[in-house]
Amino acid sequence: MTRLGDHIATGVLILLLLAAWEFAGQLKLVADGTLPPLSAILLRLAAEWREYWPHVGATLYTASLGFLIGNTVALTAAVSFCLWPVTERIFRGVNIAAFTVPPIAIAPVLVIALDGETARITLAALLVYFPTMTAAMAGLRSADPRAVDLIRAYGGGPLRTLWLLRLRAALPAILSGFQVAAPAAVLGAVLAEFGSGARWGLGTFLLGSLGRAEPDRLWGIGLTATAIAGLGYALSATLAARTTSLNRAVNIGIAGPEPDTASEAPVRRALLLAAAILMPLLIWQAMLLWADLSPIIAKTPMGVIDYLITGKTASSAQTRLLAALAETVPITIAGMLLGLGFAFALALLSFAAPLLMRALLPFALVTQTMPLVALTPLAVLIFGRGITVTLVITISVTFFAAFVVLAQGFAMIPKAAFDLVDAYGASTLRKLRLIAIPASRQWLFVAARLALPKALLGVMIAEWLATGKGLGNLLNQSRGYLDYGMIWAVAVVSILLSVLLYQLTPVLEWVGRSDRRSK
Amino acid sequence: MPLMTNRRRFLQLMGTGAAAGAMPGFVSRALAATPLTMQAAWINDAEFAGYFAAIDDGFYKNEGLDLTYLSGGPDVIPESSIIAGKADLALTTPDTTIKTIVDQGAPFKIIGAQYQKNPIGIVSLAKTPINSPEELKGKTLAVPPVNVISVEALLAINGIDRSEVNIVPYAYDPTPLIKGEIDASLDFTTNVPFTIEQSGEKAVSFLLYDFGYKTYNDTVVVTEEVLKTKRAELVAWLKASRAGWNANFADTASYPPKFASTWFAGTGRTIENEVFFNGAQKPLMEHSGGIFTMDAEGIAANIETLGRIGIKATPDMFDTSLLEEIKG
Repeated sequence: MTRLGDHIATGVLILLLLAAWEFAGQLKLVADGTLPPLSAILLRLAAEWREYWPHVGATLYTASLGFLIGNTVALTAAVSFCLWPVTERIFRGVNIAAFTVPPIAIAPVLVIALDGETARITLAALLVYFPTMTAAMAGLRSADPRAVDLIRAYGGGPLRTLWLLRLRAALPAILSGFQVAAPAAVLGAVLAEFGSGARWGLGTFLLGSLGRAEPDRLWGIGLTATAIAGLGYALSATLAARTTSLNRAVNIGIAGPEPDTASEAPVRRALLLAAAILMPLLIWQAMLLWADLSPIIAKTPMGVIDYLITGKTASSAQTRLLAALAETVPITIAGMLLGLGFAFALALLSFAAPLLMRALLPFALVTQTMPLVALTPLAVLIFGRGITVTLVITISVTFFAAFVVLAQGFAMIPKAAFDLVDAYGASTLRKLRLIAIPASRQWLFVAARLALPKALLGVMIAEWLATGKGLGNLLNQSRGYLDYGMIWAVAVVSILLSVLLYQLTPVLEWVGRSDRRSK
Repeated sequence: MPLMTNRRRFLQLMGTGAAAGAMPGFVSRALAATPLTMQAAWINDAEFAGYFAAIDDGFYKNEGLDLTYLSGGPDVIPESSIIAGKADLALTTPDTTIKTIVDQGAPFKIIGAQYQKNPIGIVSLAKTPINSPEELKGKTLAVPPVNVISVEALLAINGIDRSEVNIVPYAYDPTPLIKGEIDASLDFTTNVPFTIEQSGEKAVSFLLYDFGYKTYNDTVVVTEEVLKTKRAELVAWLKASRAGWNANFADTASYPPKFASTWFAGTGRTIENEVFFNGAQKPLMEHSGGIFTMDAEGIAANIETLGRIGIKATPDMFDTSLLEEIKG
């Protein structure tokens, strides 16, 4: 099929899906009319656009500043980590914490510790940092080792390799990181506006509009946020597509191995590990010193330990926290497996049926930027307030980043790899089985790292909005009791739990390898 | 602070200068006036109409105050703002404030009460009405997580076992109530019945206050430090704010439309809703001694109510001496 033909087919598919939405809305098929028809949403948006754009301006401002700051930090960090691998080891704890922190757990802490505007930009930047940093790292390491050897042979040092080779090789990966980072920045901005008492912003507009019980307004706000995020995504995706097609011809595209640490002196390893663990605590302590806040509201690491373990509050706090964890942890594990599975299925679909996937993509993006709080009535009316709604919300929160990485992974498979099977007239399914799935293995672990810690966020959101159980509910009730110790404790415990989930990836990787060996 | 300036400039570039300029607390600073900052409990709505009226009509300025008004939101804990020194006074819920004084030794004083009767209540549809705590048995009630403490108190006071009511989170949107997914929700009775009637249903509600949960709401709270150093300013604030509320209540339909392009611009809510809110809150706020009055009977009722849920309030947490100064 021609390129033009492809575009037409994708367009027709999208139109069909939109028509189905309109039909379902008009006939009130979904949750007694809680899903409004698309036309109602768009007409209302058109009628109210004057009300929207100060909010759009404020959200764009917060999201772009967050995007800029988050990416600057991320790229600087990735380059430093690449030039001086030891820094990567020292900052590993900070990186993992920055990534795994559930935004809804950290937002109240940020609002307590910083002024509103700074808190909002910080949250957006925080959500941007990790996707770009990891993507850039993977890209910088993916440079063709033969070319690295060549530059070395001609006397080029690490800086020259970086400039001549690694940065260029990393460009597609960095841009794929931006694809995740752009919607994340918008989501972070909207979430922070929602909570922080901002006067303007789509999050503020959403909060005020929630009480009206008018789904078309809520969808209008959500779709506006989606449009902004989509713009960022589309820009990065277009750039990525260009550079990928340029690169594919010259780049074998096999990621270089992570620096080997097995031969290292045990003392050095232990010191680096200790540094990695202490670094986040040092930064936490330093930030509080700098912010100069009352110990009642701002808990230091020692303050949290006192609250949870040594102080007079310990036994009550532990009881409540453990009860909440017992409700939250099992469903988080189930949700994360389902989310990853869903991402893999979508990525396979994008390989086997790229047309259909391209048509589905805009709808997938909506799930990332449509604030879940606006969809709560729809979710509880369809899925109730039990395990189902929690799993659905968790999948919707986890799958997207993993999907983008996997789809990018499939796209990075060199065309040459397919030439042989193509020559034998292999079907798409056969190509999947013989080449794409085995080749995607390394990407699956990158994807898992992005998806796993997000599962906890999904579960906490569901608990906060729909089920009223577990850690998400404990966090909100603690706000009602002004239980600052618990607010900080939940933030810390949710980060630790996410780190734990993140550490599951190497286990999965190991299982994956032994699986391959046994064949 | 530089960030805020930048953002305002940015918004002005985007053409919303009018909106930003309409926040007098931020922009128009009289040189002679003493700065004072208040932290509200929620986003801009009729709950704070009296303060907006007092700002717009120059009541704070006349008292020598340059008031900065900070809006609230779900993640903003008003008490945090005064502990952190971001604000001099905050509007709070008395149960959380007093619990923090008791449990954590927070240095707070309550110097006034905006609502004599807490406006939170149980709202249900008229076709399936719930008119008393007793009728909540076996029903699903949506409650914002921060208010679960109040509902548990209501149930305890009325001798109902907590396990007999299915409490689920309330996520600000009344749609599940209108669609019958839940039987009732806890909300400001001054607010949500309007939305329900807009959707073509009829709403019924009862106040927690009327079934034994006799607390104030939007209590005016300061730290002991601010009470010591800014006493004159706080008295001036009470005086100007009372004047603002009196002006606003002279005709509850008159002020909200005036704020349509300023305080209420872009909040996502309707002016009709604010007018309804303003009318409904008037009887909950008025007192023969004037707005913010805390009389002995009211303080005793708060202490008794909180005592029933294990929060040991004492009369010295309420400081009525500032209100004494603005009598008459």
